[in-house]
Amino acid sequence: MNLLGQAMTVVRKDLLLEWRGKGRLISVLLFGVVTLLLFSFAVGPDSTLLRAAAGGFLVLALLLSSTLGLSESFRVEQEQRAIEGLLLLPVDPIALYYGKTLSNTLFLMLLAPVLTPVGLILYSVELDLKGLAVLLGLWTLAAAGLSAPGTLYAAMTSRLQSQDVLLPLLLFPLVIPVLMGAVKSTTLILTGDPMSQVGSWATLLASFAIIYWSLCGLLFPHAIEEGI
Amino acid sequence: MSTRAADSAPLAVQTTSLGKRFGRQWALAHCDLEVRPGEVLLLAGANGSGKTTLLRLIAGLYKPTQGSMMIYGMDPEQEKLACRRTLTLVGHDNYLYSQLSALEMLQVWTRLGGMELAEEQAIELLREVDLDDRRDYPVGGFSAGMRKRLTLLRTRLEKPKLVLLDEPFSALDAAGQNLIEEWIEGYRTAGKTVVLASHNLPRSTKLCDRAILLQQGQMLWQGTGNELLDHVGTTV
Repeated sequence: MNLLGQAMTVVRKDLLLEWRGKGRLISVLLFGVVTLLLFSFAVGPDSTLLRAAAGGFLVLALLLSSTLGLSESFRVEQEQRAIEGLLLLPVDPIALYYGKTLSNTLFLMLLAPVLTPVGLILYSVELDLKGLAVLLGLWTLAAAGLSAPGTLYAAMTSRLQSQDVLLPLLLFPLVIPVLMGAVKSTTLILTGDPMSQVGSWATLLASFAIIYWSLCGLLFPHAIEEGI
Repeated sequence: MSTRAADSAPLAVQTTSLGKRFGRQWALAHCDLEVRPGEVLLLAGANGSGKTTLLRLIAGLYKPTQGSMMIYGMDPEQEKLACRRTLTLVGHDNYLYSQLSALEMLQVWTRLGGMELAEEQAIELLREVDLDDRRDYPVGGFSAGMRKRLTLLRTRLEKPKLVLLDEPFSALDAAGQNLIEEWIEGYRTAGKTVVLASHNLPRSTKLCDRAILLQQGQMLWQGTGNELLDHVGTTV
């Protein structure tokens, strides 16, 4: 079986696990909704301020929810050391990495249809269908940019007791370009883009997603030399 | 095969001064081991003697701190995937996903391992370990013995030349233990190499061609299974 076939087997397995144990998706979604709610309480009833900060709040909710989802994705692998069973097979570690990263990206993308409407209602933002479609596209790029280093670090820290602390500590500084690009472009979509800058920010997001996917894929086999 | 040809055939496992250190503690040190193709080798020793570390080093799950190793003439550092195709390890853990069924577990392993397995063949394999009627149940609901039997099926799926078994009899009832004995005898007949670590000396010494006693990460003694029983009794 080729690399792509092996990666797709990992994706299929992860999606099946996700479907059977819906708890992870529900808890991460609820966490994202609660985060959005807390931001709105923190700012207060000032609707102008809420609208201006809505892009940042939405992206931060995605970022915070993503660390929860990423660490959970490797908890299931560690439960009965299932990941070790996969590493013992004649499977290229790169296929395992891209399979896990793709399923984590899909997982993060699933947050968008729930968090976006909740955010729009909470922060009193109106958005037409075209804007919504562009927002979902940007969310996909941000999810890809977060999940590539996130999967690598989640694998590296998955056997550590302090994973929940270490993962965000390692991940957040690395994804600052993704965070900036996502916040800027989302804010432009929500508040108006008279200078047509969204395209440039989307290009930045796409570039970092490509860089992270390439680099982390190369690093993964070395990171797991001593097992995960 | 002529004697000359047999002599020139690569050893199943050859380690030279192999060692593994965790922090300051050497789990295994200066291990020089030769395992001939088709041999059944028993690793015996108390807890912490280095049996599991040695098996995990051979399986490529640990990187040696010192020394080198060859698997059927291949250097695992250079030919990692080829070595993985040659061997399988069933260790203390079951490598299972609780939410997948027994049948789905076999399908994940075979697809990722690049093997073909029709559903009928999978069911036949599950029948061997008395799990065919539970094939669609999530393995999270299985008993420890059932999980172990399912994981041991990996040695049948992957058809490896080198089978590494870490405590294969643990968690199994008498019928399960008899089945594993049969399998190991079958592997010997098929010319496969088996390295097993076990505390169940009465069973494992019957099966092995040679036994090695490990103590605190060092190879202390080697001989036949019966000699091991004379040396340490039935428990280590």
